[in-house]
Amino acid sequence: MRRTIMAMICAASLAAGLLTGCGQSGGAGEGSGKTDSPATEAGGSSEAGTGSEAGSVAEDSSVSKAAAGDAREDVVVTMPVTSEPESGFDPAYGWGAGEHVHEPLIQSTLVVTNKELQIEKDLATEYSVSDDGMTWTVKIRDDARFTDGEPVTAADVAFTYNNCKEKSSVNDFTMLESAAAVDDTTVEFKMTKPYAIWPYTMAIVGIVPEHAYDENYGQHPIGSGRYIMKQWDKGQQVIFEANPNYYGEAPGIKKVTVLFMEEDAALAAALAGQVDVAHTAASYSDQAIDGYSLYRVDTVDNRGFNLPCFMPEEKDGITYGNAFTSDVKVRRAINIGIDRQEMIDHVLNGYGTAAYSVCDKLPWYNSAAEVAYDPEGAKRLLDEAGWTEGADGIREKDGQKAAFTLMFSSSDSVRQALAEDTANQLKELGIEVTTEGVGWDVAYDRAQAEPLVWGWGAHSPMELYNIYHTLPDSGIGQAGYSPYANEAVDRYMDQALESGSLEESYELWQKAQWDGTTGITQEGDIPWIWLCNVDHLYFVRDGLKVADQKIHPHGHGWSIVNNVDQWGWE
Amino acid sequence: MRKLNRRQRLLLGLAFSAAFLIIVCVWGILGAEAARATDFSRKNIPPCLQYPFGTDWLGRDMLARTVKGLSMSILIGITAAAVSAVIALLLGIASATMGRAVDSVVSFVIDLIMGVPHILLLILISVALGKGLKGVIIGVAVTHWPSLARLIRAEVLQLKEMPYIKIAVKLGKSRWHIAVKHMLPHLLPQFIVGLVLLFPHAILHESSITFLGFGLSTEQPAIGIVLSEAMKYLATGKWWLALFPGLFLVITVALFYILGQSLRKLLDPGSVHQ
Repeated sequence: MRRTIMAMICAASLAAGLLTGCGQSGGAGEGSGKTDSPATEAGGSSEAGTGSEAGSVAEDSSVSKAAAGDAREDVVVTMPVTSEPESGFDPAYGWGAGEHVHEPLIQSTLVVTNKELQIEKDLATEYSVSDDGMTWTVKIRDDARFTDGEPVTAADVAFTYNNCKEKSSVNDFTMLESAAAVDDTTVEFKMTKPYAIWPYTMAIVGIVPEHAYDENYGQHPIGSGRYIMKQWDKGQQVIFEANPNYYGEAPGIKKVTVLFMEEDAALAAALAGQVDVAHTAASYSDQAIDGYSLYRVDTVDNRGFNLPCFMPEEKDGITYGNAFTSDVKVRRAINIGIDRQEMIDHVLNGYGTAAYSVCDKLPWYNSAAEVAYDPEGAKRLLDEAGWTEGADGIREKDGQKAAFTLMFSSSDSVRQALAEDTANQLKELGIEVTTEGVGWDVAYDRAQAEPLVWGWGAHSPMELYNIYHTLPDSGIGQAGYSPYANEAVDRYMDQALESGSLEESYELWQKAQWDGTTGITQEGDIPWIWLCNVDHLYFVRDGLKVADQKIHPHGHGWSIVNNVDQWGWE
Repeated sequence: MRKLNRRQRLLLGLAFSAAFLIIVCVWGILGAEAARATDFSRKNIPPCLQYPFGTDWLGRDMLARTVKGLSMSILIGITAAAVSAVIALLLGIASATMGRAVDSVVSFVIDLIMGVPHILLLILISVALGKGLKGVIIGVAVTHWPSLARLIRAEVLQLKEMPYIKIAVKLGKSRWHIAVKHMLPHLLPQFIVGLVLLFPHAILHESSITFLGFGLSTEQPAIGIVLSEAMKYLATGKWWLALFPGLFLVITVALFYILGQSLRKLLDPGSVHQ
């Protein structure tokens, strides 16, 4: 009897051990390739393979360190496993230009964005747009060469864009009719509609060589950028080496090794001194690691939730709208009834900034979106709207409870914490919020009727369009992700796309948010509530000088190495 | 103190196991609210008097979560195991009494299901049914019956050949009478023990697939969820998040096993003489 019990206990603990070993599969597959993948805190622990890989890489780097004397010229960076480009390093399949925009490193782009997110030239020497906005003409430099020695020509540029338009499933190229090379250094883009923010697209599409492009390009990319991809061990690491023939300033860091691992593995790798930059989350920020310091980057990687603005209506098996949140006063009460700073302190350990829109701090942001925390005002709004407190402290109106379900991606603990904190805070107002973890397979459809915690933030105003503009072919004729429609907002955004210059378009994007009478802010329709921008945190080895970062978009991956060529060791 | 004999010791073990499991279940059902309540002012507290199991990164009381998680696991385990046992009973009897064709089909299905690793089949079924409570219960229910079905089939086949059954048939008793009066009393102890011994299996499998992310959804305080969340914080030295829930899962499973074994020995006719 005793022996069988002991055996049982041993077996059970063995089983527990086994389970621990395969914890990796926690959130695998969820949301990958979709508009909103759980980048900040994917679930699960590390695989043994990743750890040992980190070990061998560290050995590599110490070798090159010894060879180069005191000044190291290489760097080892960790990234979430979701950052590994599934389809390879091909811009047509989302490299650089996909869900998480970043500079493509291997390829060069026509223009680049600077720290203020204004446009600067790279391959392009000049660009202009016709008066009707239907033709963009770009002249490119003639001294750029691909790493196989061939020159970069206008034909390559035209090929790249036509190829992206034809193949891209992750990026929107519907505004492009076609691209054509006029001569060796001039390329013309014919548009299907005026698109004033085209330079922001040109800033993320890496130019590929027409002569060396086939379906396997993503596995063996050739470009004219700062780095050459030397080695890619799928599921583990990518090694980049500096391009010796780069037309611009020679990169200071000669070798960049990127390791893909979960946050807890990255932390362990930093604790073991195996990496130079380890991505991490707020929940690990209180860890002190010898020889490393915490590096925080300002972001527009925001979290917020949608509030469906229509009354429920069913179409094709999907419910659109939510009776409680369709009341604009309810939405306004929620917006001012949330203490964003408390949320940042509690959930993000202070590593975040309050968010009031999807584009805080960007050139097209309208600061009218900002609101102060005002619980009394929120209660007043709810009272005015007829939602009065019931016996259990939860408000009611005509027998209906002031309640909704707030969903979050089940593999993302930060979003879960934000959802829980939202529920706690709204309870104070007399609103009952039930939280529920969901997978991305059902989240998009369910978000049409129930609020969902989202993560957005991009280096392009098009995101405003994607979230707030109505789409003719979607559901019941409203915006794509959550039921909302406002003709004035639509009109401003259409005008912004048709405007003659970027500066002019910024103003119109701002008017789309709030023009003094209507918009998407507190005094307007407030169809989305924005909570916070999550700082991107890294443990950086002492002595490594990480160059100033431009504000990071959504995605805790490639953005950090945008300017890795300008890093250096002290 | 007088030394207890084997039967009394078994009864004591039985009573203790049953009491523990019932207390966990009831406490868990009553404490549902506490297990989900988050309070950021008390997050990441190591075990202390006020919070014997500590609190997690959302400031949730780990004691409440452990108990609630166990009670959910126990209830899911019992439901799934009960459904599984009914399937086993029906198929086992059908296989033994309804002729060779049925027998070979049922035997083939039993071999088929036993040939595939449980956890794989479970994940497949659970995901196909859209995860969640329904997926887990059905998944566990349709994967755990084969061994019990085989046992029942063998038992019935054996009983059919017993002289007193043959005599009953010769005396012209109806099939129903034979089944209820003569067969059931012999089958029941085996069935009940088999059922109870299914529980620990079902509980472990429920928590495994939930741990792996194919079971219940993250906001539910299931023991698999509690454990998989804890994994992320082990690297930062928050040992209490995984230790207590893990330990109590093992204890619960072990107690169910003791319960089953004690029942088996008590129902064994020989034990009366001790």
